[in-house]
Amino acid sequence: MLQPRDRFIAALERRPITGLVPHFELVFFLTMEAFGKVHPSHRYYSQWGQMEEQERELHRHDMADIYIATAERFDHSAIFIHPNPDNVEETIRLIDIIREKTGDRYFIMRHGDATFSIPDGTQMFTFAERLADDPDGLKREAQQMVDLAIRRAERYASHGGLDGFALCADYCFNTGPFLSPRHFAEFITPYLAQITKAYRDLGFYVIKHTDGNIMPIIDQLVSTRPHALHSLDPQAGVDIAEVKRRYGDQLCLIGNVNCAMLDTGTPEQIAESVRYALRSGMPGGGYIFSTSNCIYTGMPLASYELMLDIWRREGVYA
Amino acid sequence: MADLDLDQLYYAIVDGNAKAAAAVTKEAVDANIDPQTLLTDYMIPAMDEVGARFEANECFVPELLISARAMKAAMEIIRPLLLGKAVEPAGRVVIATVQGDLHDIGKNLVATMLEGGGFQIVDIGTDVSPDKLADAVQTHKPQIVALSALLTTTLPSMKRMLDRLVQDGLRAGVKVMIGGAPVTQDFADEIGADGYSDNAAGAVTLARQLVGVAA
Repeated sequence: MLQPRDRFIAALERRPITGLVPHFELVFFLTMEAFGKVHPSHRYYSQWGQMEEQERELHRHDMADIYIATAERFDHSAIFIHPNPDNVEETIRLIDIIREKTGDRYFIMRHGDATFSIPDGTQMFTFAERLADDPDGLKREAQQMVDLAIRRAERYASHGGLDGFALCADYCFNTGPFLSPRHFAEFITPYLAQITKAYRDLGFYVIKHTDGNIMPIIDQLVSTRPHALHSLDPQAGVDIAEVKRRYGDQLCLIGNVNCAMLDTGTPEQIAESVRYALRSGMPGGGYIFSTSNCIYTGMPLASYELMLDIWRREGVYA
Repeated sequence: MADLDLDQLYYAIVDGNAKAAAAVTKEAVDANIDPQTLLTDYMIPAMDEVGARFEANECFVPELLISARAMKAAMEIIRPLLLGKAVEPAGRVVIATVQGDLHDIGKNLVATMLEGGGFQIVDIGTDVSPDKLADAVQTHKPQIVALSALLTTTLPSMKRMLDRLVQDGLRAGVKVMIGGAPVTQDFADEIGADGYSDNAAGAVTLARQLVGVAA
């Protein structure tokens, strides 16, 4: 019998599967509501280095247990770890613990992007100035970020246990990309293609995530050859049916269930969004069921559970 | 000076060339050209053009910011001269990201564009409480309050901000415009805001409509 990880990989490779469409979320932040536990990303270990190794190990196991409990309760096929503290050594330890406890049951991924995302409000002007005044310097920095990420990935590959990377640099607002398509082709696409190829060559799967209206740059994103494209944000006007029609033969699609509906919509609106995502994404395989962002803090848990109820009933391949 | 072509100022700002914008402005000031003319006939129309291109997806955020930098370079030269001429801004705007929300990209873009459109900006930051907003309105007496939110979960904060302005008797004196990724016209109508825009350039048009200033 196929494990959830096998089914997740089959979907990434656009191979046909039977049974439920695989599901996961980039982040499930409602761990306090679901399990009475603070999410690992919301913890602040100010004295991590001072702790006895035994105490650190207890924390690692506690965090691993939360990721596993989330996957088990909500039928996730993949676990996206957010190591805390976030470094290579802790990533490897966390992967080892999850593998010890669950074997190869789940696909394990972590963050792996190294391209420029939309800068925050304090950095945006500086970035725009560099784009205009120091484009070569910006490209040198882009290359350095990629080189560093590839060196890290080589360590994960030699250790084993990690299946892939989610590349989560956001490029787009609801209205369109932060960079013009011309600038995107110059400052993002070559580096995204480089890092994606390096990860693939090391045997990893690559899921490219970005929020927002990706349509003006989607050709460029697809050209970098990720295994999957995540988010497909309906709040930004991205139509999964259109993306499936244009690119479904080139990569797996993930997401599209409207987070705004989960947050403030009626049960009918949630159901409508879930059904549209399933109906548009499932045909021919190559679809992984997910929200268009994540299960973020403040979202009603009941809405997510409703989304899953419909998926369990209707997200089934014959 | 007879050869001075003030259209160069317009194009320097549209093209985001701060050095050229400053140079032409300096030359114009030295030639005793009215700084108000430079502002209203060349600089603000240049930023309006950038805003129109932004709305048409012909220019993007970095280009918009670089044009704003060129506008600022020219403004720094004429601002001391305008101070003595009792020139009024198009309006004063208190702008904030609502309580519970730390995102400032949208707010900063709107502030930049409004400033380029001739408005005076009082930016009171992110995660702003109703108390802080009410204090700012009482202190600065703006014509417009502009509120931003990125997170769906902070939308209720927008309503609380408006409620607080009503409660303190300040609402009638200001127009309230709102924006941000989860915000819609329906939501603006629902909470009683005076206007909504889904982008920074549209916010300038909206602000002008709200204060009755011709574009």
